Amino acid sequence: MPLNVPGEQRLNAGSHFISPKADVWMEREDFFGNRCVELSFLQAHQKIDFSLKARVQRTALYQTLKPAINLVKLAEEIDANHSLDAWAPHHFLVASARVPLDLPTTTYAKMLAEPSADVLAIVIAIGRQLYHDMKYDPKSTTVDTPPIVAFNARRGVCQDFSHIMIACLRGVGIPAAYVSGFLCTTPPPGKPRLEGADAMHAWVRAWCGADIGWIEYDPTNGIFADLDHIVVARGRDYSDVAPIKGVMRSYGKHSTRQSLDVVPIVGDAEL
Amino acid sequence: MWNANQAQPDHVARLIARYRTLENAADELIDEKGALRPVWNKLLQALGAMSETERSERFLRGQQYLRDAGVFYRSHGATDASERDWPLSHMPVLIQENEWKVIGAGLIQRAELLERVVADLYGDNNLVANGHLPAAVVAENPEWLRPLVGVKPRSGHFLHYLAFDIGRGPKGQWWVISDRSQAPSGAGFALENRIATARIYSDLFTRNNVHRLAGFFRSFRDHLQSLRGESQSRVGILTPGQMNDSYFEHAYIARYLGFMLLEGEDLTVRDDQLMVRTVEGLKPIHILWRRLDAASVDPLELDEKSRLGTAGLLGTVRSGNLALINALGSGVVEARAFLAFLPRICEALTGQPLVLPNVATWWCGQAKERRYVKDNLHRMIIGNAQATRSLFDLDDIAALGGEFNKTISQTIEAWVDQNASSLVGQEAVTLSTTPTFEGDTLVARPMSLRMFLARTANGWQVMPGGFARIGTSTSTSALALQNGGSTADVWIVSDHPVAPDTMLNTSAIHYSRQQPAMLPSRAADNLFWLGRYVERAEFIIRLLRAYHARLAETGTNDTPLLKLLGKFLESNGTELTRILPSNLSVVLGSASAAASQIRDRFSLDGWRALNDLSKTVLQMSKTAKPGDDMVRAMSVLLRKLSGLSGLVHENMYRFTGWRFFGIGRALERAMSEAELIAAFADKGAPEGSLDLAVEVADSTMSHRSRFAIETNRATVIDLLVLDPLNPRAIMFQLNDIRTHIEFLPVSDIAGKLSPLQRIVLQIHTKLAVHTPDNLTTEALHKLADELASLSNKLATDYLA
Repeated sequence: MPLNVPGEQRLNAGSHFISPKADVWMEREDFFGNRCVELSFLQAHQKIDFSLKARVQRTALYQTLKPAINLVKLAEEIDANHSLDAWAPHHFLVASARVPLDLPTTTYAKMLAEPSADVLAIVIAIGRQLYHDMKYDPKSTTVDTPPIVAFNARRGVCQDFSHIMIACLRGVGIPAAYVSGFLCTTPPPGKPRLEGADAMHAWVRAWCGADIGWIEYDPTNGIFADLDHIVVARGRDYSDVAPIKGVMRSYGKHSTRQSLDVVPIVGDAEL
Repeated sequence: MWNANQAQPDHVARLIARYRTLENAADELIDEKGALRPVWNKLLQALGAMSETERSERFLRGQQYLRDAGVFYRSHGATDASERDWPLSHMPVLIQENEWKVIGAGLIQRAELLERVVADLYGDNNLVANGHLPAAVVAENPEWLRPLVGVKPRSGHFLHYLAFDIGRGPKGQWWVISDRSQAPSGAGFALENRIATARIYSDLFTRNNVHRLAGFFRSFRDHLQSLRGESQSRVGILTPGQMNDSYFEHAYIARYLGFMLLEGEDLTVRDDQLMVRTVEGLKPIHILWRRLDAASVDPLELDEKSRLGTAGLLGTVRSGNLALINALGSGVVEARAFLAFLPRICEALTGQPLVLPNVATWWCGQAKERRYVKDNLHRMIIGNAQATRSLFDLDDIAALGGEFNKTISQTIEAWVDQNASSLVGQEAVTLSTTPTFEGDTLVARPMSLRMFLARTANGWQVMPGGFARIGTSTSTSALALQNGGSTADVWIVSDHPVAPDTMLNTSAIHYSRQQPAMLPSRAADNLFWLGRYVERAEFIIRLLRAYHARLAETGTNDTPLLKLLGKFLESNGTELTRILPSNLSVVLGSASAAASQIRDRFSLDGWRALNDLSKTVLQMSKTAKPGDDMVRAMSVLLRKLSGLSGLVHENMYRFTGWRFFGIGRALERAMSEAELIAAFADKGAPEGSLDLAVEVADSTMSHRSRFAIETNRATVIDLLVLDPLNPRAIMFQLNDIRTHIEFLPVSDIAGKLSPLQRIVLQIHTKLAVHTPDNLTTEALHKLADELASLSNKLATDYLA
């Protein structure tokens, strides 16, 4: 379910449609404030459908960003932060389940990160460089491809782009998180179509010091997350925010299919 | 340096003639002035007075016990996992009671401190907010489980059972080397060491005023049972399964305390409640003593790759319907980095210093501490700050006394700077030495102790004993214990006699506390298959014996009868390419595998008999010769097998599990015989087939007494299929199965037959109206198929 993010995004309406009906349905919030629905199906079944309809209003834009602090200052701010709240920077600095900190990504990032440089500038530099060096290629990776494999091939999808950028940022000491969401891809007249349209999208969240806080960057498209980016869940990496996970006993073959539509509703902001 | 003390009587002096204490290390046997510590006196006198032969006989008794009890340690090598003999040092470590009390007081203080720290980390987080603990030390800790933040444990406490590794420094003071708060292992091994050591020193034990261990376990068992509250559910021990290196201990403790041994597969969640899958359906469970790491228990919210866990388990913890011992996430304080902060946290929270200091530790995430570590590399061990294993087990990159343990193309200083927050420096600890036998005399070897604490109705209780790890070399660096070494019993010796105490006392007193027996479906399944495999092995052995008996008579296998028998064996998976077909080992291996999963329910004698059987087959497969030799060999196996059957039949308690074992045997026997008779009582079968069938079915004598004529098809079918009095007849098996099934839990309303009963009755009735004439080969094949479907029905009704 898309998140309510004060000042950035408002969830006006939303519901889940599950078939067959689940035997158990529980809702809760996870550590990072994401909304989870827990379902159990006790009977055998041939097919399950999960669908979600929501109406979301996206409001914020990164228009004028102040200059940020440098890496040395950032490290000092992090040290001085005595908090373990969900969005304290400490959670997002080291390797996580799906993002090991490998030497190649760290080395790559260090070339773009002068300790004296502005943290925000470093985030943009790394994001742009990845956008430039990596090729979007849905055939090259699967959901379980380690980031370093995608990085060495310089190919992947939004999940790989984001995991690689997170590894780069953490490698130079910038707290970085993973955002899972939807991308509205209807191209405005004359503008190019954005890639990553028919599956869920992912991008990166980086902490640029207490003053600026968290910013969101989409390395797959080489831009800041914008009005077209609808936030669903945020965590340390994909494993914190996988849209569906669970345990299934099965026999025989099985297949899955996903589809997604994001339709802009223009001029209907009050809904 | 100290040499054999001349003041000792000759026989003791001989024993310690080679004993050399080390410089800069304390010794357990000899004090700093060079005198024998009095606590060892009686034991040394007694040992010295024994002849060499008596000593080795006694040691052998201990080893024999461990082998018989099947105590092993599973070591995971590069290519496979194998079971190793348990390396018991025959010399216990002796600690004087008063000294143990001081250690105990220190550990109790530490246990209470750890409880407060864990509660804070999953609660208000004041330690971080107030700067007593850097946020990074917690946030980077893989055992700080975010889904459990804010979850209060059902029992009111996070920690119930702890272990500490401690060592004695050069000046005689004890140090805590590591804290074990996740799912500490070793208490079961401590018990086994105790039993084995008590066998060695049976008479000395009482005279030495050694504290007993049973009271500790009893108090903890009572504590766990009291946590159930109103519920009468049983307490379970959650094990990762038999591939875990401590599985033996889990099964042992479960048997010792009378708890259910459960695996993730045995459990499921219904309506926010954790349930055990039993043969009586789902039963709730509220208390689980877990012996696996937290991350594995729930693939839904924790490690998604775990195949050991139960999806949704965490939800039941959150709802307060399940208490885990220790609470999930308790492992957070095992990380080495905590050792750097606990001394100050203790002062901040309690106003008191730690009674027992821990190994001096510096977290490199702090600038000043990092500087200190880099300036003192020569006396530091630098390693992963978040690793939970103790100093002995440094397995990743580490720097020891200024040198890397692996090849790194970096200076240590640069490595420390680069990985600052993920590293700690720890002072290289020196351990004390303790006596252990090398040949016939005692030598000094380094040791550390694992001490156990349990929460009880009267607060924390310290196990009066423990588990000593003893190194193989004279190096007293803590790392010397890393590779191998041995383990020893720990005796807490009082100046006064101590009361004898065993678990048995209490079961007599609390006889009314008998808990409802619950049989997990997985255990029932393994018992059922154990029965089937044992019976299958017997059938193969009988077929092989019949084969070789005829081979010995005729000298050739080129007869119609042996060709038929060969084909029959092959169709049952027993290829005759080797003299002793490998399939027999495979079937016995499957029986052992099934038995090994139910070690908590299968008697030690039964286990031994099964292992003995496998070993004998292995031996025979190397030497067996066709003909007479194989006949003799198979007869030996049959005798051993009937020994096993006898043990089970005579000694196994008639609980539901035994019924499943019985059904397995009867069903397998009925199926094998149906196929046997179909093949050998067929109208077209060669001459001698009928006699062979009767022989394989072990009914030659019965046939002779029942019928005054030679075998013919009618007599054979009557005797082997329809005769309800012949324990080898199919009808007899069906009656047996019917009886067993009547005792199985039925979910139907009384008076109505369960679906399973109905099927058995159908097969039974159909067979009962047959006469030998119309029971054709085809009808027999059909009967075998119906019996197989019975097996499937049983599986879906009770074993799924």
